[in-house]
Amino acid sequence: MIRQGKGIACMWYGVGNTGLPNPAGAFVEVLSDASVNLMVGCADIGQGSTTVMAQIAAEELGVRYEDVNVTSADSAVTPEGGATSASRQTFISGNATKKACQMAKQTLAEVAAEVLQVSRERLKFENRQIYDMDNLECKLSYRELMGEMAKRGRLALGQGYYNPNTTMLDPDTMQGSPFEIYSYAATMVTVEVNTDTGRIELKEVISAHDVGRAINKRMVEAQIEGGCAMGQGFAILEKVIVENGKILNPQFSKYLIPTALDMPDIYPIVVESNAQAGPFGAKGVGEPALIPIIPAIVNAVEDAIGVHFYELPITPTDVIRELYHQQKLYEGIE
Amino acid sequence: MEKKLSVVGKNVIKKDAFEKVTGKTVFSADLDMEDMLYGAVLRSTVPAAVIKNIDTSKARALEGVESVLTAKNIPGRNAVGIILKDEPILVEDKIRRIGDAIAIVAAKTEETAQEALSLIDVTYEEIEPIFTFDRAIQEDSPNIHGITNVLQTKHLRHGDVRAGFEKCDVIVEHTYKTSMLSHMFIEPEAGLATYENGMITIYSSTQNPHFDRGEVAAMMAFPQNKVRSVQMTTGGGFGGKLDISVQCHAALLAYNTKKPVKMVRKRTESAMVSSKRHPMTIHARTGATKEGKLMAMEVTMRGDTGAYASYGPAVITRAMVHCTGPYVIPNVSIDATFVYTNNPMAGAFRGFGVPQVALVHEGQIEALAKELSMDSVALRLINLQHPGAETSTGQKLGSDVGLETCISQVLSKRKELDGKEGD
Repeated sequence: MIRQGKGIACMWYGVGNTGLPNPAGAFVEVLSDASVNLMVGCADIGQGSTTVMAQIAAEELGVRYEDVNVTSADSAVTPEGGATSASRQTFISGNATKKACQMAKQTLAEVAAEVLQVSRERLKFENRQIYDMDNLECKLSYRELMGEMAKRGRLALGQGYYNPNTTMLDPDTMQGSPFEIYSYAATMVTVEVNTDTGRIELKEVISAHDVGRAINKRMVEAQIEGGCAMGQGFAILEKVIVENGKILNPQFSKYLIPTALDMPDIYPIVVESNAQAGPFGAKGVGEPALIPIIPAIVNAVEDAIGVHFYELPITPTDVIRELYHQQKLYEGIE
Repeated sequence: MEKKLSVVGKNVIKKDAFEKVTGKTVFSADLDMEDMLYGAVLRSTVPAAVIKNIDTSKARALEGVESVLTAKNIPGRNAVGIILKDEPILVEDKIRRIGDAIAIVAAKTEETAQEALSLIDVTYEEIEPIFTFDRAIQEDSPNIHGITNVLQTKHLRHGDVRAGFEKCDVIVEHTYKTSMLSHMFIEPEAGLATYENGMITIYSSTQNPHFDRGEVAAMMAFPQNKVRSVQMTTGGGFGGKLDISVQCHAALLAYNTKKPVKMVRKRTESAMVSSKRHPMTIHARTGATKEGKLMAMEVTMRGDTGAYASYGPAVITRAMVHCTGPYVIPNVSIDATFVYTNNPMAGAFRGFGVPQVALVHEGQIEALAKELSMDSVALRLINLQHPGAETSTGQKLGSDVGLETCISQVLSKRKELDGKEGD
């Protein structure tokens, strides 16, 4: 028999290292043709940080995304980026990138103010133009500005780093402020449990994530979907079998992970709470994407068959054993 | 007024998309250089032993072998580790797990390198291995590192947990267990190192090239600016490419041969040696008033970090500070102990202990809801963190707490989908 169940779960996640300094840096140069070189320590491991940094730089400098070339994670060229972990790079390297761009922009603004004869505070950098926000006709193209920079022998360089504002935790009580910002999420899943085979099938996932601001919504959604795949493995499939210190299943034929065929319908929802400390309000989503689906599956299985499992993964054997046990209890045998 | 954004928030095409979908991306294993050698690692097949002798003479004599190195060939620090430097680059005396690196070889072909490994004779004396938490903490158990097998014991204290429980009408108590998990990133660890003009360059699949630079420099006793660490396109990591993998071994072989050395792990080697998710046992007691207000939580956590600390200390701390979940609980007491064993090394894995504790806080909420005959979403909403709320570390949250919106959006999406199904 197939029994359906629904479960919900929530999570929170502090972005960055826990109560420890973890800075990251960035260098930027706006070139004479108004293209931009951005050098960030941040390692892109497929999640898309290089794209995020280019978007942040383009936004801050007022150029197009295509105008920004990113060199990342090369210790001879880029400053310290820290680890790509702790869901920290959008927040920390993102802020470093923004600060580096602000420094370059300061020089650009000085020259633009001189040329346009307006105060720096009134200048806007947008869509490859620099203009007076009170008089849109008073403007320079980025290329014109770079020409003026060249005439004056000035370079548009910037560097920046960011270290989140946290405190060390008290060594005896662990009291303090371990993170500057927290991401949040709520996930609801629908599962089907086959009471004959014990198989749990994940049918549907609705997962809402407060990411502060989505720098790139499609990439946030991709993170949520990837996290759902991995969380499914955690809840019902994966386990490293160790015997006398030896891993008995170190290959894909014996350590099964979810594949495309195991993917349920996923409805990712992006919630934007605008984190004051984040670049343009962004938090982090890399790890939050994984977390809430795991307890949500456990809760959905309980909803389906009336058993809450306290040990993961929940294998078909576990399901059958518990159902058998329940049946015995019902029959009054145990 | 909020600034109108023109690039942030747009679904631009990822910078690496075109190269990846057209199969042009170069990964570490694709690197090829003139005179390039292939590196390989001899690994221990026993979990606990003391090395008596390593005889590399037969391996050295093999045609095509250019270098065979052991711990005594390391000019600087023979220890790596993200938080504690407790893992040898090449074992000098003590084997602490299956897969510990004992010797490395560089040869003209991969096959020759593998053959050379089989010609290295290691004499060792096995000692009692420790595989369980309980055995690790016994007084008479052999010490894997230093003078204790306890990696760390930590305590979190917030409010008065005893007084908190006294105000509770219902208390639930459960023990949760999670398994050791493997990242199974699609691209196994790989890298290439060169040594030219007094400078070591490493190209590798990594999540932290700057950390790798520091570890290689310390191993070589080089200034850090004489080591260049370049991250190649990386095929996933999930925390499993934060530890040193091939970087130190490839660099040491390149330095000794003056030739480029490439090292690519096989899937089995990768899964045996890379860090794993900490298996954890968590016992939790949580209490609430009959109105559903959470009053107290008391937790003990046990974890096994295996042979080396890796990111273990960070996992403990993060798990503890997230243990309440996104709920306000005024009285919290948590004790956590992680131990060393001779099991595979556990380290960073997407979530750093938070997936483990999420199972606990969400399980406890469900259990309390049942005891209180209350809807579990309603119970969550009563206790949800809100702007200005205080966490179990005493931190006052800012304005950016969007959880209530997350819950309401999930519920309305559910309603919308149910409506569609009803049509």
